[in-house]
Amino acid sequence: MVAKGKVGILTTNYYNPDGNRIIYGGAERYGLELTKLLLELEYEVAWWQVGTGWQKEMLPGVPLYSIPETGDNFQTCPRLNQSFYEQAVQVDFAIYFVTFLAYPQVLEKSISISHGIFWDYPSFDAVIPTEELRRERLRRLWLAFNGPRKIVSVDTATIQWATTTWPGLWHKFEYIPNFVDLNLFSPSEQERKDGKIRVLFPRRLTSVRGINEAARAAEILTKKYDNLEFHFVGRAHDDNLEKEMVRWSAKHPNIYYYWKAPQDMPHVYQNVDIVLIPSKSTEGTSLSCLEAMAAGCAVITSYVGGLPNLIIDDYNGLLIRPTAANLTAAIEELAFNHDLRKRLGQKAREVAANFGLEKWKRSWAKVIGEVFK
Amino acid sequence: MPGKVRKTSGNKLTAMMIVHNEADRYLKDVLEHLTAFVDQIVILDDASTDDTPEICASYQKVILCRNEESLFFKHEARLRAQLWELMAAAEPDWILTVDADEIFEDRMQNEVKCLINQCDFDGVEFRMFDFWKSTTHYRVDGLWNPWPRFSLLLARYFPEIEYTWPDRSFHSGRWPMFYRGRGIISFQSDIRVKHYGWARGEEHKEKYRAYKAADPEGKYSSREHLESVLAPQNTVKLEEWIEIKTPPF
Repeated sequence: MVAKGKVGILTTNYYNPDGNRIIYGGAERYGLELTKLLLELEYEVAWWQVGTGWQKEMLPGVPLYSIPETGDNFQTCPRLNQSFYEQAVQVDFAIYFVTFLAYPQVLEKSISISHGIFWDYPSFDAVIPTEELRRERLRRLWLAFNGPRKIVSVDTATIQWATTTWPGLWHKFEYIPNFVDLNLFSPSEQERKDGKIRVLFPRRLTSVRGINEAARAAEILTKKYDNLEFHFVGRAHDDNLEKEMVRWSAKHPNIYYYWKAPQDMPHVYQNVDIVLIPSKSTEGTSLSCLEAMAAGCAVITSYVGGLPNLIIDDYNGLLIRPTAANLTAAIEELAFNHDLRKRLGQKAREVAANFGLEKWKRSWAKVIGEVFK
Repeated sequence: MPGKVRKTSGNKLTAMMIVHNEADRYLKDVLEHLTAFVDQIVILDDASTDDTPEICASYQKVILCRNEESLFFKHEARLRAQLWELMAAAEPDWILTVDADEIFEDRMQNEVKCLINQCDFDGVEFRMFDFWKSTTHYRVDGLWNPWPRFSLLLARYFPEIEYTWPDRSFHSGRWPMFYRGRGIISFQSDIRVKHYGWARGEEHKEKYRAYKAADPEGKYSSREHLESVLAPQNTVKLEEWIEIKTPPF
């Protein structure tokens, strides 16, 4: 079979730069599905990322090359961009997996992806602290947005911000919200009768994902109620934090910490009642949120990034400002209101049906067909 | 990378192990443990002089082969290659490589099927905890620190590959070259592995001497790491092993 062409995808980190630690976030799973789709569409695919020069495979037959360029400024990586541009001379099409990687230059037939607004965390002000620096950052973002032929955005928040800032950009954007495999993620057919109410935090253990607030809520509520059980399921960014989580969870009889292979996650969702997605910033249309919805769980989430694209408050989940107190109150409300949990879970499943993987693939295939020709 | 052997159900898991005079150590525990979640246990006995072969043979899932002359400290790579051939003859889909003093957390029994019955990755890496002079504390200083270190212990077997081994008489590694370097696509599991190889302090000096004699110039492994076996007690950092609750589903 002759491939339709070769697609080069540039990302920052699929593995940590030393190549030893795989990042297990939503964006990485997105990357896997996008790669599978490109292969289905008969393209050849190769990935590039920051690293020390190592080379791996991210899927059978799909190489992942690392580029020894680690410098970044103004939240862009011009050297990485330049090295990719030179190394990818043999590719026909490019996907810039994060929007800012498309600065300063792009391959002629290219697409970039926005996984959500990533500059809405409080310390961002200290990262780019002066007006002059912010202007330079915006200038670079403008160039990054302008380079590719299309920008696929996983949420409407990014599109609204960009088109409010630069109205002329609206034609660049395609809104393709994230996806869930509805065959894999489905509600349990049997109601559990163990008397436990299980609460799941299925995220990476980072501040922006609300780990500290969720941990605080878990401590408060497990002390108060014997039948509440918390499951923190996901990796941290570093080994020490994972060690601390092991020690912390061991101290609390009803708090668990572990992580699972992606194939085992549907089973996890089927065995919990409430799912926490209390992101504080840098959020798109969370895959975890969609998976929880598809599994018919009652979701508590925040009005951050693209999450309101998925959840309408009190219809198919609860939308809160993600403080520890608000989270604690919301969990408490759901834990002891079976009917509310059921209603939100059922509606969540219904809404999730609109975010199926097949629909996502069709939307992406259309954009690919328009740009890669 | 060959792909036709990947399947999402019915994968056969074969453990493989080299043993030598393990009768009074952890062998029975390890065999009981493995019996609970693997389909076969291929064992190459490296000329034991105690009851090790008899103990192995008493377990139904064990396929045992014995060497008359010990090779481990003479040419480990040859011994590994021999074990590999025995394992291949058992026609596994997945291979688990263990030593006779390594035990996975109980979660492994519940989760191993999920780890092997999938097509997205071909290997699983685990953190290994070296228990030090006890079965309650593990060592964490220098290269002993288990937290940043994942080891490939479980991998898919590809029958059509021609496997080769490094020409090393010692510390040749458990996997043929195909599984190293650029490597296979692997998943890092949080299921921990307890390694009791250093749990008996009275064995340390003898093990140190044997390793030093096998590799006097530090050609095959870090000299510093070997010397740390006899490091003064006040420089050794230990952490207490904490049991983690097994998820209830």
